[in-house]
Amino acid sequence: MQPARQCGFSRTWKGSFRGWLVDTILVFVETKGDAAKKASLELLSEGRKLEQAGRFRMEAVVLGPLPAGLKDRLLSLTETLVHIDDPLLEAYTPEGYAFALAGYAGEAGPKMILAGATQMGRDFMPRVAVLLGCGIVSDVTAAAWEGDPVTFVRPVYGGKVLTEVSCNGFPVIVTTRPNAFGISEEGSRTGNLVERQAGVTADQVHTRIQRADAKPKGKVDLTEADIIVSGGRGLKAAENFRLIEELADAIGGTVGATRSVVDAGWRDQEDQVGKSGKTVSPKLYIAVGISGAIHHIMGMDTSKVVLAVNKDPNAIIFQYANYGIVGDLFEVVPAMTAELKKR
Amino acid sequence: MNVVVLAKQVPDAESSIEIKGDGERLEIQQKFATSLFDEFALEEALRIRERHGGRVKVITLGAGKATEVLRTGIAMGADETLLLDHAAFLDGDGYATALALSRAVSKAPCDVVLCGKQAVDDDRGEVGPMVAQFLGLPHVGGVVKLDIAEGKASAESLAEAGREVVEVSLPAVFTVQKGLNEPRVAPITGVMKAMKAQIPKAAPEDLGLDPAEVGRAGSKVQVKRYLAPKKRPPVQIIGGEANDAAREAVRILADVERLI
Repeated sequence: MQPARQCGFSRTWKGSFRGWLVDTILVFVETKGDAAKKASLELLSEGRKLEQAGRFRMEAVVLGPLPAGLKDRLLSLTETLVHIDDPLLEAYTPEGYAFALAGYAGEAGPKMILAGATQMGRDFMPRVAVLLGCGIVSDVTAAAWEGDPVTFVRPVYGGKVLTEVSCNGFPVIVTTRPNAFGISEEGSRTGNLVERQAGVTADQVHTRIQRADAKPKGKVDLTEADIIVSGGRGLKAAENFRLIEELADAIGGTVGATRSVVDAGWRDQEDQVGKSGKTVSPKLYIAVGISGAIHHIMGMDTSKVVLAVNKDPNAIIFQYANYGIVGDLFEVVPAMTAELKKR
Repeated sequence: MNVVVLAKQVPDAESSIEIKGDGERLEIQQKFATSLFDEFALEEALRIRERHGGRVKVITLGAGKATEVLRTGIAMGADETLLLDHAAFLDGDGYATALALSRAVSKAPCDVVLCGKQAVDDDRGEVGPMVAQFLGLPHVGGVVKLDIAEGKASAESLAEAGREVVEVSLPAVFTVQKGLNEPRVAPITGVMKAMKAQIPKAAPEDLGLDPAEVGRAGSKVQVKRYLAPKKRPPVQIIGGEANDAAREAVRILADVERLI
């Protein structure tokens, strides 16, 4: 592995008189079928803003299969799309992806390598950091890109405290929490496509996917959802989650659950929001029949707007909510669903 | 089948944490526990030994209360422990911590390395994959089911797209999460044994490392300051009968917050 080229010269001047000052950032674009993951689109939006500010130039990097439709979409979002393909990148493996991305980064000499703090991003980017001998900042929720060095904010202790961190050397690898940044739809570019071979060899990859059970189509993962409707013990029985599902359907949201209802077997582990489950940052979080145990708060406190429905006016969840309805969820939730359907 | 568990003692989820000195440091209530996900790793290691024989070794890095996680491991049934105990090891980022731990793992041959998917204090989730890469080993992340066989393992994890089963050659690193097992309660005889146990220690030089390569000095990422999370404004209670409150809530979400 070659060390990252420590130099700021841009390979594509494009006639820019500031070309020699411009640093490269790589954005790893995570794909899922024909689409790019939301966190990747957020980073492409941030990258475009940084390009406009004149300090960076961006390259989007896709590993493995790149469907034609997605290729066209990405080319409208970036000046340079680097597609690294290889038979060994057909399916995701942490080793294969890490070798492929680190190999390209060693050649491109970026200042930053950005990826979504998705399950995949958090799984293989630490390996890229070791291969490049560089720092990694994981699960970032905010960035001050204009700083030198750039500073990042990341939550610790389940969000009870935030840290402001920076990395003096480069490149620095950064994974950003889905929904941390906005997506600006500005797909008017006609980028260049660069095709590469990863050169990953079979002896570098020791894992093989035997079986993958896909979730029902169209189900948005909790970590990416804009709207989440979560239920807790207040629902009294597994079958009453039907009310949560109906509200989620009516509002276009994903269903979440607390630890106690998952432990009771009412919902699957995948639905759990909280310290031992998923950390989510939706635009809207509706907490139904949830008391607000600290373990749950840790998983949802970065939600932008929180609406809590609970019959206990002293429930802790109201301390973490913007709006509250003190009332019987068995009346309030169906009434909300009916009201939404009218709209 | 020799299993190494990387575990960490962390402040309890309920401990109070205050930011002091204009964001320079944290004052944390002295109430500690084994990091949630590391408990599943300890339990799984013991189950692997029950099925396949071999030894279970628990390694941690830290000062003061850090040793407690090793005593917990012994109490549950671990055979050996190792404490990376030197001021130079402390306050490292994921990279410096993983470098030290990977050297500690490589001191003796092992087949399986287990750790929690992340420590619930720093919430970085970097050390498992980084230890694997430092050792040139594969890893499987977020494991909820693990079947060990001769020279290979089959690991099930919760991927975003659904459940996934991965076959991997051993030795390998597995980061584990809730759903894998139910950690046992240490028997009283184990607790007695743990109280009396001598904890072997290692300094950077014992691992062939320079103190400047580990801990704060060896870190590539620095914490500049601590900040308090943004406080939500006080809750606005939507009053009235259920139907009226529901209608008003939908109106606010649609027309005021413009979320739907």
